[in-house]
Amino acid sequence: MKINKQEFLSRSGLGHETLIAWIEEEWLIPDSSSAEMSFSDIDIARARLIRDLQSDFGVNDAGVGVILKLLDQLYGMRRTMMELRQAGRIISE
Amino acid sequence: MRDPYEILGVARTASAEDLQKAYRKLAKKLHPDLNPGNAEAEEKFKEIAGAYDLLGDVEKRKRFDSGEIDAAGAERSRQGYYRDYASAEQEHPYADNSGFADFMESDDAFAELLRRSARAQANRRGHDLEFRLPIEFIESIAGANKRLTLPDGNTLDVTIPPGIVAGQVLRLRGKGAPGSGQGGSGDALIEIEIRPDRSFTRQGDDIYLELPVSLPEAVLGGRIKVQTPTGAVTMAVPKGSNTGTILRLKGKGAPNQAGGNGDQFVKLKVMLPKVPNPELEAFVSGWESGRAYNPREEVAS
Repeated sequence: MKINKQEFLSRSGLGHETLIAWIEEEWLIPDSSSAEMSFSDIDIARARLIRDLQSDFGVNDAGVGVILKLLDQLYGMRRTMMELRQAGRIISE
Repeated sequence: MRDPYEILGVARTASAEDLQKAYRKLAKKLHPDLNPGNAEAEEKFKEIAGAYDLLGDVEKRKRFDSGEIDAAGAERSRQGYYRDYASAEQEHPYADNSGFADFMESDDAFAELLRRSARAQANRRGHDLEFRLPIEFIESIAGANKRLTLPDGNTLDVTIPPGIVAGQVLRLRGKGAPGSGQGGSGDALIEIEIRPDRSFTRQGDDIYLELPVSLPEAVLGGRIKVQTPTGAVTMAVPKGSNTGTILRLKGKGAPNQAGGNGDQFVKLKVMLPKVPNPELEAFVSGWESGRAYNPREEVAS
C-alpha cells in the first residue's frame, strides 16, 4: 500500500530533514514515478532498521551505509536462493 | 516475562553503561533484520528490547526495583521487520544481486539458472489483484457501470455485462499490481456477488416473480403493469386466472450465451381486500353455486 510523505513521516517517526538526508544517501528510495513521492511498507520497515542501527547499536553514518549495502546483498541472495529452490531444478539439471 | 536483569545477563547493581553495553551486545546478535534465516531471533529480540526499554529508562528502572511495576507487557512488539519485506517475492527498489554477479558470468548450468532467475526478476509481471463487487439483482440482469474503490484509494470502473451470474469473475487486463521492467501489470479479478432481491429470483436464464392480483383482476381479467429488470411492461391477465397461474413474458429474462433472452415468469397470487368488505361478504353468502366447489378435492384427506 502506498502512502504519501506526510503519512510516512508520522508512521516512521522521522523528521523531514532526516528523511531528505537519508534519501540523498540512498538509504531510502521512495517511489518518485509520479509528481509526489510515495512510500510503502518496506520503506517504513527500513527506516526503523536504520534507527535501530543508529540508536540501539551506536552505528555511525558510514557504518549504516555499509551495513545496508551488505544486508541488501544478503537479502538479494536469499531471494534468488528461494527462487532456485522453488524452481526445484537445481539438482536435476 | 522473565526477570529483565536475567534476560540482559546483568547484575541488579549494574550501571547504566553496563546495561547499555549488555543490551547492544545481545541486540547485535539477535536483531531479526540481521538474522534473516533465524526464526527464533525475533522472539528473543523482542524480549531483550522489552527488558532494555524497562531498565534503560532510569525512572522505570527505579519503579521496577521498588516493586511498583512488574515486567509484564514490557515486550516490545512491532509489526513488519525489514526482513519480512526484503526477502518477499514482491519487487522492491533495494534488491541487490551484485553479491553473485560474477557467478552469473560463468558458463555452467548453475550460472544459467541464476541468469534466468535474474531476468525473471527484472521483467516480472505484476500480481493479479482480487476484489469482490456486490451488485443488485436488477443490475445483474440489465447490466450496469460500477465504480470500485480500492484499498489504496484509487478507483476502478467496472462494466457489468447484462445477464451476469453470481460468482462470475470479470478480468480487467492490466489493472492489477504494476510489474517491473518489461513485465506488464497484472490483472484485476473481480468476483461478482449478487444481492438477493425481494421480488425477483432467477433460474438459468429465466426470471420468476410472484405478483399479487386483486379478485376482480383474477376473475374478470385485465391489463396490469408488471416490473421486469429492464423496466415495467403491461401484461394481459386472462379471465379466470387463479393463485398459482403462471404467465410468461417472452424475452424478458436474462440474456443467454446464444444471443437470445430467457423469459420472465409471473406467478399470480390472488389477494382479497385487506379490510373485510361487507359488499363482498353479502355477495358470497348469496352465491349458492360457489359452495359446490371444493378446492381440496385433490388433496389427500
